[in-house]
Amino acid sequence: MERAPLLQPDEQRLTDISAIAERRDQAALSRLFDHYVPKIRSFCLAAQPGANLMADDIAQEVMIRIWNKAHTYKPESASLNTWVFTLARNARIDYLRKNSRHQSDIDPEYLWQNIVDENADPFKDAQHKRDQERIQQGLNKLPPDQKEVLLKVYLEGKTHKEAAEELSLPLGTIKSRVRLALHKLTIYIKR
Amino acid sequence: MINYHPSIEILTDYAAGSLPLAHSLCVSTHLEHCNECQQQIKKLETLGAHLFDQGHTEHRQLSNLKDSFFKRLTEEPEDLVESPQANKKPVNEDVMQWDDYKIPNSLRQFITKGYNELNWMRLSPSFKIATLYNEEGGAQVALTRIKAGAHMPVHTHTGDEITLVLQGAFSDESGVYRKGDFINRDASHKHQPIVTKDAECICLTVLDAPIEFTGWFARLLNPLIRRYHPHSH
Repeated sequence: MERAPLLQPDEQRLTDISAIAERRDQAALSRLFDHYVPKIRSFCLAAQPGANLMADDIAQEVMIRIWNKAHTYKPESASLNTWVFTLARNARIDYLRKNSRHQSDIDPEYLWQNIVDENADPFKDAQHKRDQERIQQGLNKLPPDQKEVLLKVYLEGKTHKEAAEELSLPLGTIKSRVRLALHKLTIYIKR
Repeated sequence: MINYHPSIEILTDYAAGSLPLAHSLCVSTHLEHCNECQQQIKKLETLGAHLFDQGHTEHRQLSNLKDSFFKRLTEEPEDLVESPQANKKPVNEDVMQWDDYKIPNSLRQFITKGYNELNWMRLSPSFKIATLYNEEGGAQVALTRIKAGAHMPVHTHTGDEITLVLQGAFSDESGVYRKGDFINRDASHKHQPIVTKDAECICLTVLDAPIEFTGWFARLLNPLIRRYHPHSH
């Protein structure tokens, strides 16, 4: 394995993703597997506790998508974590759609494909970097009750309504916790 | 200029992947028209990525999973590599313009040629509806098509309704809605939309339960509407 010794883990992963895109580098895929598969599995298990087979299936599906779509990843428009998160989210939606009692004919592939930043520019890139940092720093300072709701919505795949039922809180309380959190993270600015 | 957007709750659920697919279809269609909400979604996805990254990591041995994954990759690579168009229905841009309207990407899974190809049911001389999809035990996804200047009968919703304007414009007591606008009404809302005089209006609608017409004449339509809604069987 040719591996530059001084790369930071994040940079190593960026190198890995382009090695996959450019020369189908399986060693690079193997490193990404080690890093991401445990995260994808726990993302799936958060939504369906105990469903280990489902978690394995989805994790493999995401790794296949990484292998096949590495050339479509654009580092200037999203961080690698964000890209993998969106792949995992879509794979989880797709899996649940195909395997649930209420099968849906709506193909999620058509719904989340559209957000491509065609006119990315240096100003936007810088803005995007700042957003990244603000969100990361802000997240660590959020009050636990606000973070709890975000975790329900994002990791457990609950809607606001379902989160309210589960926490036995009024929907209004859930909404205001999410809004407060998003406001602190400067994601949500009231129109 | 788009004036009506999905609420931050709906955008958050969409970015998180927890929003029902029928509702996600409306959000996705709105995003094709709305740069502002696209930027919002990007930030919400960044947040999702941080939460995803911070998630617990279990210390389970994954070497078996890894071995079998790489075995598949080496032994049956052609099964795993999708051809670029493998899952996509063929889309012919010329044909898409067939009746002068561009079909949003999100709807191309239902509409391959143009709005005219759909099976439109006429509810009144000026008002037609075409069901795209009925979710089992859930929502009805449909297009409504109303002639220029026409009134839709007064109706209330028995469940939540999302309307997304695809072509033309309409108004009701609360405002004027144009292409790309996203309108979310709850069950208590009673309204009578009127289409602007310059052009017909086509909307994507998602109904959690059938609408009910309240005028004496229009009430005759209720059995028809119910017949086409999955909840009423």
